[in-house]
Formats: sequence, C-alpha cells, structure tokens
Amino acid sequence: MRRTDPSALLALAALSAVVLVCSTPLLWMAVASFRPQNFGGLDMAALWPDFMPTLANFAEALDSANFPLLYLNTVIVCAGTLGVQLVTVTLAGYAFARLRFPGKELVFYAFLLQLMLVPPILIVPNLVTISRLGLYDNLIGVMAPYFASAFGVFLMRQTFRTIPKDFEEAAIVDGANWWQLVWRVLIPLARPGMIAFGIVSVVSHWNEFLWPLMVISSPDNQTLTIGLASFTRGAESASQWGVIAAGTFLVAAPLLLAFALFQRQFVNSFLFSGVK
Amino acid sequence: MSRLASAALAAALTFSLGSGAALAATEIEMFFPVPVEGKLAKEMKNLVDRFNAEHPDIKATAVYTGSYDETNIKTRAAIKAGRPPAAVIMSANFVLEYQINDEIQPLDPLVEADGQTPDAYMSQFWPALHGNARFAEKIWAVPFHNSTPLLYYNADHFREVGLDPANPPATWAEWVDAAKKLTVRDGDSIKRYGLMIPGNYDYLGWIMTALTMSNGGLYYNPAFGGEVYYDTPSMLGALTLVDDLVRKHKVMPSGVTDGKAVSTGFFAGQASMVLLSTGSLSFIRENMKSDYGVAFVPRNLRNAVAIGGASLIMPKGLSPERQKASWTLIKWLTAPGVSGEWSRFTGYFAPNKGAYDLPEMKTFIAKNPDAKVAIDQLQYAQSWFATYNTVAVRKALEDEVQAVLSGKKLPAEALKAAQTKADEVMRPYVEQTALRLPQ
Repeated sequence: MRRTDPSALLALAALSAVVLVCSTPLLWMAVASFRPQNFGGLDMAALWPDFMPTLANFAEALDSANFPLLYLNTVIVCAGTLGVQLVTVTLAGYAFARLRFPGKELVFYAFLLQLMLVPPILIVPNLVTISRLGLYDNLIGVMAPYFASAFGVFLMRQTFRTIPKDFEEAAIVDGANWWQLVWRVLIPLARPGMIAFGIVSVVSHWNEFLWPLMVISSPDNQTLTIGLASFTRGAESASQWGVIAAGTFLVAAPLLLAFALFQRQFVNSFLFSGVK
Repeated sequence: MSRLASAALAAALTFSLGSGAALAATEIEMFFPVPVEGKLAKEMKNLVDRFNAEHPDIKATAVYTGSYDETNIKTRAAIKAGRPPAAVIMSANFVLEYQINDEIQPLDPLVEADGQTPDAYMSQFWPALHGNARFAEKIWAVPFHNSTPLLYYNADHFREVGLDPANPPATWAEWVDAAKKLTVRDGDSIKRYGLMIPGNYDYLGWIMTALTMSNGGLYYNPAFGGEVYYDTPSMLGALTLVDDLVRKHKVMPSGVTDGKAVSTGFFAGQASMVLLSTGSLSFIRENMKSDYGVAFVPRNLRNAVAIGGASLIMPKGLSPERQKASWTLIKWLTAPGVSGEWSRFTGYFAPNKGAYDLPEMKTFIAKNPDAKVAIDQLQYAQSWFATYNTVAVRKALEDEVQAVLSGKKLPAEALKAAQTKADEVMRPYVEQTALRLPQ
C-alpha cells in the first residue's frame, strides 16, 4: 500500500472517526472520574482534562457500596456460569456435530429457536422455577438459567465441525473411547472457540442488571451492576457525574484490564471462530 | 475445574450464611427504589438498622430494587414466584393496579387491631395523599414520602432583568412574560433559556398533569381506573402552552430535555426557571451556587398540582407473624419522627402532619423557608393519576407530548392520538367493568 494512496487515507480517516465515536464514552468516563466535583458546571461535559486530578470521586464511590463483596459476587457469578457452560456447550456441541441420532436436526433447531426469545419475557417463569428449586436470593439462582447456552452450543458445534475427522479416526485406531476423544483431541483443538465463547459469556454476565436484580434480595448477594445502580441512579435529581464516572470506572476496570493484557489471544480467537 | 468448584463452594457458603441467621426473629424484606440521589440507599439501610435495633424480635432487610419501574417489575415477579416481600415502597400511582389485580391486602384489619378506626388512622396524613392510599372503601397503602412539582427560579437572573424575586410569577401570563424577559439571545441562537421542563418518561406525564390541573383539568377519573381526559380543552390549553413556549415565544429548548439535564442547566445558569420535584429540594439547596427561590406551579384557572412520591404496600400471602412484623415496620417508618428525618434528608415532604409539630422540624423550616413552599402548595394538591396499566396509559400521552416538543406534531392532533392510544390500552379493563352490563 502506497502512502499517498488517497483511498487508504480515506479509509484511515473513516476508521479514526469510528474509533473516536466508540471511545468517547470511555474517554469521558476516565476524564470525568478524576475531575473535581462541580455540580452541573458546563466543563463537566468536556473531554479535555483541564484540572488538577482528584481521587475524591473514587473515595466517594468506594464509600457508597461494598466493592470487595460486589467484585467477589460478580466473579463467582461469571466464573460459575462459564464453568458449567463450558461443560454443557462442549458436550452438546459435540453431540450435534458428530453423533447421529433420530431427530437431531429438529432438536438443534429447537435449540437455535431459544436465541430468538427476548430474555425479559422469561423473567417471571424463570423466577418461579428458581424459587421452586429454593434458589431465590442465591447466586446459583442468578447463574442457573444460563447453564445451557444455545449460542454456546451453536458455536461449539460449528467449531467441532471445522476439525478434520482424521484426528478422531487416528485416536479411535489408538483405542480412545468417546470421552477421551473429546477431552484429548477435540477440546485442545477447539480452544479458540471456547475462549471466544468465554469472552462473550463473561462480558454479558459481568454487565447484566435486570436478572440479578430480580433474583437477588439480600445486599450480601448483590452484584456490581446493582451496587453501582444503587448509588448512581436517581430520577428526581441532578447527578453527581464525577461519582457516577468513578463508579462505572471501578465496575468496568477489571474487564478493560483483562482485555489490555490478553488482547492478542482475544483477537486471535475471534478471528478463528468468526465471532464479531 | 478447580475454579468452578471454588465458585460453587463460595456460592454454597453465601447461601448457608444467608439462611442461617434467622432463629428467633421474624425475618422480613422490604423492597425500596432510589428515586432521588444515591446516598439515599445508604440512609435507608441506616434507618432499617435502627429499626432492627429497636425491635429485637424482627429482622428487617432493606432490598434495593432499582428505579420505581424496576421495583414494580421485581415486586410483581416476586409475587408471581410465590416470594412476596413483606413490604414495598411503591410509586404511589401503581398501588391501584395491585388492588385491581388483587395482589395486596387491605390494611384496615391491622389498623382496627390496633384499636383505631380507619378514619382516625388516615387523618394523620395530609388530605391530598388520601386518594392514592385509600380507595374502593379500604386503605391499601401508607404514604411514605411525597412530592409535588415546584417552580424553581434563579433569583440573580430575576434581579438582572428587573423582575422581583420576592414576587415570582403566579399566573401563566406572568410566567410567559418572565420567561421572555429572562431568555438571553445572541442573534438567532439562545444563550440562556427562560424556562426548562423535564421531558423524560414518568417526569413528563407528571408535569403535564400539573399543567392541565392548573388549567382546570383532572387528567384522569379518580373514581374509575378506565378513563383519562387527554383530548379535552384543559389538556389542549396546557399542551398548547408548552408548544408556544418552544416555538412561538422561543424561551424553552426544543426536543426532549431529561430531568437531570434540567437540574444541571439550572445549576449552570443556562435555565432561569425550571419545573422540578420537591424531591430535588435538598439536592438543589446543597449544590446551587447562586441565589434561588421556589414558588407554586403558576396557574391559569386554578392552583392545582398532583402529588408524587411513594407509599408502603403489603402484598398478599404473608404469614400472620410476617404481617405483624411488616405492619410494625410500616408504622415505624411513617411515624412523625422518622418521617420528618427522612423529609429533611431528602427534600420530600413528610406525609405525616405530626412531623411538622416536632421542634426539630420547626427549626428546620425556619431556617429553610423554601421547604415551607412545598407544604403550602399541598392544600392545592390532588391525587396522582392511577389507572389500569398506568405506565402504558401515561406513555400514550408522553410519546405524543414529546412529538410536540420536537416539533413533529401540533397539540390538537397529538392529543387525539394520545386519547385513542390510551383508550385502546384500557379497553380490556373497561370491558370488564363499565361496559359489562346485565344481559
């Protein structure tokens, strides 16, 4: 590509514009969280840091909620959900990709149909089930509806199908049974697909608000999003933007940090799996 | 896998800890939304801790449940799942729906068990609050914190343009005149708006209620939850006023301004007058740098506004012990002392009249005369609209008013569309009630 190529310059300009649009909320959050409190001052909206940075907003945010506990609960929910999901989606994905059984297509499409449902309509039926299982106000109750993921099964099925059958046939010749086949041959080869699914799963459960709000009642079981909302949302007053930005920063920081550290793996696995 | 195992273990631990605490005390849960600034969630926890310390036989937990609307969703879902909370602080105009759905219990038996008549019990609350709490011949809710819309104005701006801050506009004519004087223009662009009103959902419906009531209207039928009065002269006058302020007089921003943007604009001196809730009073008092004043919502035909705020309700299906514990909590939270404290902390007025007879409240009012304006306006206050499917009926109007604010529709056609939409939403209920005739 020549440097003077006008179409390349145009592409660069277009990409920069997209980057700017996408990163503005994050930039604003970072700037505003260090900005001294000035209620409703117009410079609150400014992206440019033109002030002495202060940690007062963070102090107030940390004081407004029990962050260590909120982090712990959120990590438990994300890790617990993902742990069970990885087992269920790999096994189901394997079944749909390799096994032959009557009604396979029908069952698979029934699975995919689940992707079309809008989650809020399931709130009441799910809550009834959770409560009958004795999981109301319990972190396992927050995780339970996600243990079987239609998206994950679909993704793993597609991933397994890209792996040549030759590997499996070689393993069978060596005397492997079905679970050795899955554990030693398919899973190592399907790792990028699993990482891609893991990212999607963790990000969505980290940020989820409505379902945990429905299941959780005691403050000890609250997740980050609920804790954040409890001190940043208010219908009838102006907001303390600095504290909101600082709180949001605290909630988003672990994911941002994880992305910065593992960026290469993330991008690779998405390229591999074709997830966008 | 070890991660999963430890996660499961930790989850099991939190569960056993959560359920192991109750032995002797009656455990109850109260759902509460945070309608104003965030610190309230903390203050609510302090309050409930104090209650538990004073009542060793009860262990109440305050459960934060999001906004008013989310609290409504969570309460309904919890009731359907067979896990009703013992008490909920519910937006006062959602109570009717719970009564229609037969999901809450009348409080009269509990009042009578205390040796009081329902009339005597209700008389401790301001009369304007009765309509949303006591209807269909029973007490369904106990007012917890309430508000009315107020006109906040920047006194410095008033002086600057020769208006008297001691005599804020009282009629629509004076209001429009003041807004015109206060607006600062630079050619075609406006540097300072004379007036701003919140245009976001929930807030907008409440502000429109205040304007139409000030214009002699009712907004809804207080005796029957299947009727609203959108396509009426009083509402047309109110909406035309809004439209004129934006397009004819050009003293108000076009489009939808969020409630937060309105208060931010007021703090920043971008808006000289704003209509906001009394619930914002403490927040504005603490953060407004310039001199400000508060006044009644200006009138065209009469002084009238609707109340806002929230009440405590008790879902059906509680055991007698939990009912009793919940009733103890409800009474404690709405007694003069706590009611007054919460009012001073938030800016909401205290529903219990007795709160204003206490010495600490008298000192507070003497020091903050703006809090008195909210109380004075109460004598003109009326019930808040409450219908079958309140939120959808309210939104039918709000969508159309937003279209007018954005210049996409004229007031008359907007109100016709709003009325049609609202009637459609309420039809199932109307067919079951007013249109169900003897065969």
